[in-house]
Amino acid sequence: MSDTGPEMVEPEALAAEHALGVLTAPERAAAERRMASDASFAQAVDAWRVRLGPLASEVPAVAPSDEVWPRIERALPVNDNNPQLARRLAFWRGATVGAMGLAAASLMVAVYLGSRPPVVIPAPATAAPPMLNASLSTEGGQALFVASYDPQRQALIITSLVPPGTDPLHVHQLWLIPPEDGVPRSLGMVEPGTAKTMPLDASLSQMAHEGSQLAVSVEPLGGSPQAGPSGPVAAVGALGEI
Amino acid sequence: MAQVAAGDREALRQLYQATSSKLFGVCLRILSDKDESEDVLQEVYVTIWRRADRFDASRASVMTWISTIARNRAIDRLRARGPLARAEQIDEMEIADGAPSATALLESAERAGALQQCLSELDERTEKAIRTAFFEGVTYEALAQRLDTPLGTVKSWIRRGLMKLKGCLEP
Repeated sequence: MSDTGPEMVEPEALAAEHALGVLTAPERAAAERRMASDASFAQAVDAWRVRLGPLASEVPAVAPSDEVWPRIERALPVNDNNPQLARRLAFWRGATVGAMGLAAASLMVAVYLGSRPPVVIPAPATAAPPMLNASLSTEGGQALFVASYDPQRQALIITSLVPPGTDPLHVHQLWLIPPEDGVPRSLGMVEPGTAKTMPLDASLSQMAHEGSQLAVSVEPLGGSPQAGPSGPVAAVGALGEI
Repeated sequence: MAQVAAGDREALRQLYQATSSKLFGVCLRILSDKDESEDVLQEVYVTIWRRADRFDASRASVMTWISTIARNRAIDRLRARGPLARAEQIDEMEIADGAPSATALLESAERAGALQQCLSELDERTEKAIRTAFFEGVTYEALAQRLDTPLGTVKSWIRRGLMKLKGCLEP
């Protein structure tokens, strides 16, 4: 055996394995959570991604079908990244610089402008509110679902780590439980092994904040017959900024 | 990327035109399913659009950053099929491992070259295990089945191999 020598030790080994992509679904979810809370681990993963990244260029390019781009365009959130505001701000910045250059020679104009109502400059774009994340785990601590709430889009993205076809006679129903009243609100069904974006209406999105619980219950086909969950709770997790 | 972060759809479209075939190839290699790969590709560009402001040119090239997003999404999708997904080799997906494509050499000749060089210094079986893991996004378990080698042995090959690789890339 010629590849002898030391094996890597944790956490470096875990970082390399996550970047390489050999971890199982629960291990991947755990590594992602660790990256969010442990900056040196996140750096180690990034460094490995950079080291291994050039390998991707060896994969032959294959053109996707022409339908993909229109689908992407339709999926782009309308107000995301706030292009209009960005353009308006750029205009105002330009206008301000120009005005200063002319200031000395424009006293008359300034006097004239002074008699007009002040120009309202739009407030600078505030930083996007942070994404909230939750890992929904069993009592035993196994992550079964990973969720992110995007306050800007008012949408919850949920990924089921449950292998498809595990239990064809039941469905997984997702609930949002705000700490204010502790009442579960149904957000809909989550199919095993898929990721899904769930837009929340105004009242639900107000309830999606740090500390709100997300829970998944096991329900008969079609979902819980009552207002709240009727079956056992498979996994629970709280939304938090990570 | 800065234009994408500022919400310029045209900039995203140009990025898509320049990179989508590459990323689709990466997804397809992992998922070996055209429809699923196109779903993932869509998610990838929506993610790029939403996270472009987090791209840090001092840490990674645009290509590394977006192919990492594509690999991650594709691997997540593969994992949803279970830990042993793709434990069997699909013959027609096999590409000539170890033969860098012309684009590889053009795109990041120096970095890809160094990586190639360092990979080729590993044991043949270690190199193959690392390449298969990277290209196909399979778990240790699936890899062990594929190579018909005990799990612990495969893990040890890869960990030792990666350690050597690191030493070789950063002497």
